[in-house]
Amino acid sequence: MEERGKQRNLLTLALSVAVLIAAPGAWAQSPPGAEETRAGTIAASQAEKAKTLHPHEPNTAEIWVKKLEEQFLSGAMHWHPYFQSAYAGGGFTLGAGYATHVSPYNTVDLRGSYTFSGYKRIEAEFLAPRLFDRRGKLSVIGGWREATEVGFYGFGTGNTSQDDRANYSFQQPYVSATLDVWPTRKWLFLSAGVEYSQWDQNPGEGADPSVEEVYTPQTLPGLDAKITYLHTQGTAAIDWRTSPGYSRTGGYYGATFHDYSDSDDVYGFRQVDYEVIQHVPLFRDAWVLSLRGRIETTYTDDGQTIPFFMLPALGGGSSLRGFTSWRFRDRHSLLLQAEWRVLVNSFMDTAIFYDAGKVTASRSDLDLEDLKSDYGIGFRLHGPAATPLRIELAKSNEGLVIVFSAHASF
Amino acid sequence: MHLLHLLVHPVTRRRLAVAVCTSTVLVATLALGHAASQKFYRDDPIVREPETQDASGAQPRDIDLFYELTYNLFVVPRRPPTNTRAGNLNTIDEVPDSSWFTNRVGARALTLEELTRGPVAGPPPASATWTITREKSAGAAPGFTAQDANGETFFVSFDAPVNPDGATGALVIATKIFWALGYNQVEYFLTDFRPDAVVIDPKATKRRPSGERTPLEQDDVRETLERAHRRADGSYRAAAGRMLPGKVLGGFEYQGTRPDDPNDVVPHQHRRELRALRVFGAWTNLTDMKGGNTLDTVISEGGRSVVRHYLQDVGSTFGVGANGPHEWNEGWEHVYDGAATKRRLLTFGFGFSPWQTADYEDHPAVGRFEGDAFDPETWKPRSPTAAYVEMRDDDAFWAARRVMAFSDEMIRAIVKTGQFSDPKAERYLGDVLIKRRDKIGRAYLPKINPIVDPNLDASGVLTFGNAAVQAGFAPAPASYQATWFTFDNTTGEATRIAATESATERMPAPAQLRPTPGAFVKVELSATSAAHPAWAQPVHAYFRRQADGWTLVGFERLRDKQ
Repeated sequence: MEERGKQRNLLTLALSVAVLIAAPGAWAQSPPGAEETRAGTIAASQAEKAKTLHPHEPNTAEIWVKKLEEQFLSGAMHWHPYFQSAYAGGGFTLGAGYATHVSPYNTVDLRGSYTFSGYKRIEAEFLAPRLFDRRGKLSVIGGWREATEVGFYGFGTGNTSQDDRANYSFQQPYVSATLDVWPTRKWLFLSAGVEYSQWDQNPGEGADPSVEEVYTPQTLPGLDAKITYLHTQGTAAIDWRTSPGYSRTGGYYGATFHDYSDSDDVYGFRQVDYEVIQHVPLFRDAWVLSLRGRIETTYTDDGQTIPFFMLPALGGGSSLRGFTSWRFRDRHSLLLQAEWRVLVNSFMDTAIFYDAGKVTASRSDLDLEDLKSDYGIGFRLHGPAATPLRIELAKSNEGLVIVFSAHASF
Repeated sequence: MHLLHLLVHPVTRRRLAVAVCTSTVLVATLALGHAASQKFYRDDPIVREPETQDASGAQPRDIDLFYELTYNLFVVPRRPPTNTRAGNLNTIDEVPDSSWFTNRVGARALTLEELTRGPVAGPPPASATWTITREKSAGAAPGFTAQDANGETFFVSFDAPVNPDGATGALVIATKIFWALGYNQVEYFLTDFRPDAVVIDPKATKRRPSGERTPLEQDDVRETLERAHRRADGSYRAAAGRMLPGKVLGGFEYQGTRPDDPNDVVPHQHRRELRALRVFGAWTNLTDMKGGNTLDTVISEGGRSVVRHYLQDVGSTFGVGANGPHEWNEGWEHVYDGAATKRRLLTFGFGFSPWQTADYEDHPAVGRFEGDAFDPETWKPRSPTAAYVEMRDDDAFWAARRVMAFSDEMIRAIVKTGQFSDPKAERYLGDVLIKRRDKIGRAYLPKINPIVDPNLDASGVLTFGNAAVQAGFAPAPASYQATWFTFDNTTGEATRIAATESATERMPAPAQLRPTPGAFVKVELSATSAAHPAWAQPVHAYFRRQADGWTLVGFERLRDKQ
């Protein structure tokens, strides 16, 4: 070992000499009596280096970066983090998944997550991203999830209070298939999906009272219900954003039609969602004014009713951000959002935002009166097509809410 | 743990520590022994950097894109420049020819025919049929590796749909500019690519997201072409780059040396031609200077294997990239720029940057490229390199003279080879290059003492030029001063003879100057200019007396650490 160390030091000494000879300006200052020409001094330094040639040795950081790239970018990725909560309002989520290719492009991903409030999700997804000459994408998911303390504050916007919170829980096995199609590869977006699932609503956990302590099945439709839905849906939209996950220009204008068919014909209903998003770049994308409007409206079949936990809702990190998740529920909802996004650098945006919305029992009440509103500031890390981290501080008349999300706001 | 500490291999760290100690001792020894050193050899100034060793053992290596980007964005800018004089200069402050660089524009007269041919040495591709042999292996641009009808391999790339003529034109024009500037370039041609004339080599494969390679299919070709601009007749305008000769080693780094190339003895960050890319890049808006856009190959030369270094892809020039126009802030900010980030974060975007108000004419073939708001000294590539950081004023002066050597006529002739379908775009690109050229000259030529081309004739009359005055970027100084020394080449001792002064760029040597054959004379030349006080810092010229007169053997514009 000692001998090797000496050899290494000698090698280093030789290298140092070579480096010095080659050092800037050193060509003009070689020792007297060495070589008689400039070319000779250079040749000598090259000859010296020739004795110590070796292949490139990557440093520790380079080795690790390479490993990470091979893991995440080469297609060899299997284990991956997964931050999708079982249900909105579950709090900080940890999870992991194992994905593998079953063909050159198609993948199967088995994943699960757990939140600090005990929300759980486990599911498997088969994803075929290149159907119909790269015009279609098919996702088939089967899984099970449980949410333990979902808040319910009563119906409507103006006549409920934070103090009215009651909790419920549910368990849900589900299997679904969604086919997304871009017939012209750009602009026109069509989607169709079917889901078969069972909602098993149960008493809630947590510090707040459970729903059955506050309500009865007569005052709260769906209380203690176990409903099996066949949910079909279809979307038609014009989408000219650069990406749904991150865009500084373009827009989305779409409508989604849902049919929730209850196998017992008690809780069946239909829902239509209208959504408009517009990004307006200002001063060369340095600022972007982003606007969003969304209306969710429901219809029931004769003699059937909508269970309270399936009603349109507002509140949480993707709607009224200054309010807790599921804060407002009723038959119909209106949401209006505006963001002033500022490009900080190629990977980072900041934004100030304003949200307003309401839920109503009657469709005719979907107007701009008595809206609940909030405002706040946000910070986002993004790539060209995705926003993997969004942190926001939102203020409403009910207090401050901090939002952590792995998705764009809209 | 300090980031630099993490980035250096432990073994390398130990070696560095020992090297630093031994270097210190050696530097001290050299400094003490300076009086006994010989400054000029009989072959000075050399015109070619010799390559004496066999480099056949050099091995291919991929520079990791993400690692390089991270390192260049977050480590390189934190290191203060060493203010070290470039290490590959000959004794008259010039860059000798080498496997990196060949003196062309500014060093000799180039004909328009030479300029517009550029690096092209062989015939254009025979585009009657293209046989695709593999996917494009590098870069984000849509393209293929394909063989032409004669079976010769080319790298074929296309224009972005919204920027017809842009990326292909930039490649063809920029390769000629950088060839003229002295860099080794790929031979690029504009050619046609018709989907009905495409054949897929049965052995061609493509790497899929799963990591496996499967046969290349027609749909893969369609997918690539969907990202390219399609002409009305269904064909595509393409830039075809001829495959380089020799064994491909991968890109070079802008710092250190190749450890497997014995002839590579000057750290790359101290090579003047690599430092000068900061100026040439600013001129042409070469924003993507990553190692992945360079290429080393091993070729046989004079019976020996040597490594030749290429700027392989200079297509990120002007205002268009392979996938569309440059980002608005490209050329103005690094991808991550701490100062701009802080300013915009703290002012919520109200702290404007120049790119937000710069005026770009609308030419899809040229993109976001302009000359009015352009400032050569604040121009920035996507990420800095160590060589970019190390550029000194004398490197910039050298580079600016090369840029200024392009006449309007030369620039317009090169731009014409881009064959833009819109003549207004061609004119605009030429106008902007001329405007940016002049801004570069105005910024760098008067910045330091601009005395050039000193000559001492046999009769003892000293003449020289003033690059800033000649270019019209500065008024003539009130006077020039020369301090004359005899110079002992063996000891390095300079003994003052006399001082002379002149209002012009011509002055006689003092009577004490003795024309003894073999004698050396040193002249310190400065100028008095109220507008440019920096000109008072003298340049150092050394002449050796030959039988027939005085020969310039040494020239220093800025000394080490000056």
